[in-house]
Amino acid sequence: MDTSSTPAIETAGLIKRFGERAALDGIDLQVPRGCAFGFLGPNGAGKTTIIRTLLGLTPASAGTMHVLGYPVPAERSLALQRVGAIVEEPRFHMHLTGRENLRVVAAVRGPETAARIEPALARVGLADRAGEKVKSYSMGMRQRLGVARCLLADPLLLILDEPTNGLDPGGIQEFREMVRAMVEQEGRTVFVSSHLLDEVEKTCDAAAIVDRGKIVTQGAIADLAAGGTGARHELIVAVDDVERALTVLDASALVAETSPEEGSIRVVLSGDPQTAAQVNAALVQAGVGVTRLEPVRHSLEQRFLKITSRLDAHLVPEEVKA
Amino acid sequence: MSSAIAVRMVGADFLKLRKKRGTLIWALALAVAPLVIYLIVKGIQHSSNPAQESPAGGAHGFEDMMPVLALFFGPLAAILIGTDAGAGDLAAGVFRDLVVTGRSRVALFASRVPAALGLCWLVMLVAYAVMVLGTYALASGTPTPGAALVVNGLLFTLFSTGILCVVAVGFASLTGSRPSALVALIGWQLVASRILENIESLGSSRKLILSQAVAHFSPIALGEHHGPRGGVTVTMSTATAVIVSLGWIAVFLALGAWRTRTMDA
Repeated sequence: MDTSSTPAIETAGLIKRFGERAALDGIDLQVPRGCAFGFLGPNGAGKTTIIRTLLGLTPASAGTMHVLGYPVPAERSLALQRVGAIVEEPRFHMHLTGRENLRVVAAVRGPETAARIEPALARVGLADRAGEKVKSYSMGMRQRLGVARCLLADPLLLILDEPTNGLDPGGIQEFREMVRAMVEQEGRTVFVSSHLLDEVEKTCDAAAIVDRGKIVTQGAIADLAAGGTGARHELIVAVDDVERALTVLDASALVAETSPEEGSIRVVLSGDPQTAAQVNAALVQAGVGVTRLEPVRHSLEQRFLKITSRLDAHLVPEEVKA
Repeated sequence: MSSAIAVRMVGADFLKLRKKRGTLIWALALAVAPLVIYLIVKGIQHSSNPAQESPAGGAHGFEDMMPVLALFFGPLAAILIGTDAGAGDLAAGVFRDLVVTGRSRVALFASRVPAALGLCWLVMLVAYAVMVLGTYALASGTPTPGAALVVNGLLFTLFSTGILCVVAVGFASLTGSRPSALVALIGWQLVASRILENIESLGSSRKLILSQAVAHFSPIALGEHHGPRGGVTVTMSTATAVIVSLGWIAVFLALGAWRTRTMDA
């Protein structure tokens, strides 16, 4: 069965209940192949639960799941053959060496896996320390050994749950580079769950935001940060005469909204970002000196906080309605 | 799943167990130390009063040491190893990493059993070698056991410890906790079984006690009170002893496999 054209992960109406509480409440998720996909949400949003459900660590209450095109749990063993995963923190037999820990997993995966142990250790930079017991490893080394363990599967899909927890800034940077290399050079799909917006924004191509067991929105990082299609385009315009500039801008059909700030004006364009040049021309023609004109770059963090604070206020976001 | 994968999985489980120095040392100490202590104490007693005290070795010494190893300390060592094999992956938090390989959970459980038996029997072979060595080296000219008895004694030791080891793997997999499995099984073996054996009103239902079924296969006569275990011997047929022994193995393997298959990893 050729499953190479299917999404790496696909869920429909996925529900996981713990008693009365729905940890996952109808999750419809599509993770395309060959990208780094962030699964973003505050603590307790359901990120780890969806990973555990996808991997068959806990059964779903309802809904369907496909991993690499195979239905899970029906064909779980086929689906997971080319999946590497770190769930929560990477755990090991502390009394064994790094290499021995990989030997244990390689034995379970199959005979062809043993040959991948040394390349995997080299890939994560642990070849020199692989003979030491894991109890002597730092958190960063354990994370890298966890990635090496994932690589034993020669994975088409890597699922990493909060992978930078406990890493120092150097380790986080190293991790980001590793993920990007896996995607860009090796063509793997990397699914990263995180509550760290900055990490997802810098590492991933696309993301889904989850809160209280629901996917609030999903798409490319840039689209998400901007608020999706039809988002507002904003400018900060610094001028020599704020009053006069406001009169010009408020009269212009190019401008939807203005709000004065210290020595400048925040302008919401009614059209696409290219109309910024026309706004500038209108101001100059009206004799207003424009000293700075800068598009406002929305970060994923702003977007995330906006969405989750809306949820906190018990307001249903548009994305959820859709 | 191919037999090659099964062999590798058993090898991996054996690696995890044999590298656990604490478990290995304690198991060896439990199996060997009582025999060494017996040989030393009896040896001193015999050398200080040869007329009154029998030698540490010889047939008499062998018959004294056999229940110590096969029915008392050997099973404790087996429980130590079996519980580690049954709950080791869960305790280390590695079970979920094995599950995400896609390998069947029952296969993950099944590979623990031969690995635990392998280490358990290795420890027993060492202890039995010490016992046989002491038997012949310290016989002081008294009769020694024949080769058949030595071989039967070895088979009995492997059987009595192996059965406890398998039960321990199943029970620890069922509870998911090594400490609680260890306490419960040692409590059962040392305290509960002995109390139940001594309650005569229980009658023939005492045949269901595992240590009674195991003791039936002893190659040496245990008498009404079998040595250091201090319990009574309940008479039963060989068929009953076989059924009871297999029943214990089957029940605990089934429970361990069921729990491993259904638990949240």
